[in-house]
Amino acid sequence: MSERFDAIAPPVYAIVDFTVIVAPALAFKLASDRGGLGDAKGLDLVVASAVLASIHAVIAGARLRDEERIAVRRADMWIAAMDALVVLGLAATLLPAFVFWGFADEHASIADRGYPVVFLWVGVQLVAVALAEVTGRFVFWWLEPHRRLLHRNPGPPTPDEIV
Amino acid sequence: MRGYSRRQFLAAGGGTLGAVASGVVLAGHVWPQLTREDLVPGTAPEVVLQPEAWESAPDRVRFAAIGDNGSGGRQAMAVARRMAEAYGIAPFGFVSLLGDICYYGRFEDRYHDVFARPMGPLLDAGVSFELAIGNHDDDLRHTDEGSEQIEAELRLLNTPNTYYRTSHGPADLFYVDSSVPGVFGPGSKTQWEWLDDELSASVNQWKVVLLHHPLYSSGRHGSTFGAREVLEPILRRHHVDLVLAGHDHHYERTHPQHGITHVVSGGGCKNTRVGSSDFTAAAASILQFLLIDIVEDRLVARCVGVDGSVADRFELRAREGR
Repeated sequence: MSERFDAIAPPVYAIVDFTVIVAPALAFKLASDRGGLGDAKGLDLVVASAVLASIHAVIAGARLRDEERIAVRRADMWIAAMDALVVLGLAATLLPAFVFWGFADEHASIADRGYPVVFLWVGVQLVAVALAEVTGRFVFWWLEPHRRLLHRNPGPPTPDEIV
Repeated sequence: MRGYSRRQFLAAGGGTLGAVASGVVLAGHVWPQLTREDLVPGTAPEVVLQPEAWESAPDRVRFAAIGDNGSGGRQAMAVARRMAEAYGIAPFGFVSLLGDICYYGRFEDRYHDVFARPMGPLLDAGVSFELAIGNHDDDLRHTDEGSEQIEAELRLLNTPNTYYRTSHGPADLFYVDSSVPGVFGPGSKTQWEWLDDELSASVNQWKVVLLHHPLYSSGRHGSTFGAREVLEPILRRHHVDLVLAGHDHHYERTHPQHGITHVVSGGGCKNTRVGSSDFTAAAASILQFLLIDIVEDRLVARCVGVDGSVADRFELRAREGR
């Protein structure tokens, strides 16, 4: 049962991770489709988010698989993974909204240069992904400090070494 | 709890709190905004139009009306592009702006974003713009900053006042300030007396009143009952034909209310859901603008969607018994 769960968990986590990153672009696209815009132009953000999300889903799935292998306590891995997902969910939606809303005066200059609304979008979501990735890795490292001791003193940690 | 460390409790607790807070913030505020707003910067329409190509005659006029178009985003640009293309097919000499011409900042700062860029082809063709001010145009109206904002809009759009009258062919258009100070504030009595007098003096075949807040709406904001209470008796008394409004981000036309047809045309860049009321004759939750043709005593109006489709078409005859 546990082995089966270990095999299924990383891909499921990767799918959730992918969905969280793509959702804001999809929301924009669906809103404009509902208004009758329905053209292919609105797909650029969805495609950009999907590419970024695919890459990060692979990274996040690999991280989870790696942590499954090295975690002394399974709970540490899941706490770190969930914390990363919370940060991703908040940042991937809030950061683009904040940037577009807070810097509305820059809209014309961004669009007129022919650039890069899509680059800006990807850049902002990249920050969100980086924050999530750092959170996931840091929390896991913080919860399992005995891993550092293992390098010096191979073998199972004593109860005193586990904080 | 046995078997769990303090750090695990902290990390799990922080994550849980974060999840709850994120859920509240995202579901309650951010997601509804994302699906309602027009935040993604848009590319300005690149359409070259024949200047001053519209027909001018005393018995006819063609104009467009658009409300709540002040985002400068992709949806605003798409509607503006469609409006320019409509001019290419059937030129019109002016556009009635039904308020909220600037979101996400001050009009002076965003003039280029929200007006000069989207309306560039029409401006280049010599089309003029007439403004009914909206609530987002004067959010801080009771402050000096709010007053400056209104003054800037009026100045930049060559608008004579917050309420005024224009005449085009067989139609007189009465632009009304429907904001709270305009309806109920210290100067409101002056405005209603002005409207009463101007409607009395109007001898043109058509009387159209334009304002931001709709007297009848089945949308998110709904009917503006306070303005209806004050304004409707005046409109009835003078046999007004048509009232055009924005504010709610959809299209809706009423059955004649006391002989007056009310239209909400607020889909200039955003889009919210519209229901149906007893007074609703047609409604659509779409990005759109209005094209109005008046020839003598016949008015034909079309609600044009951002995809070019005609979502509604209606005809009116100038009211008798004046």
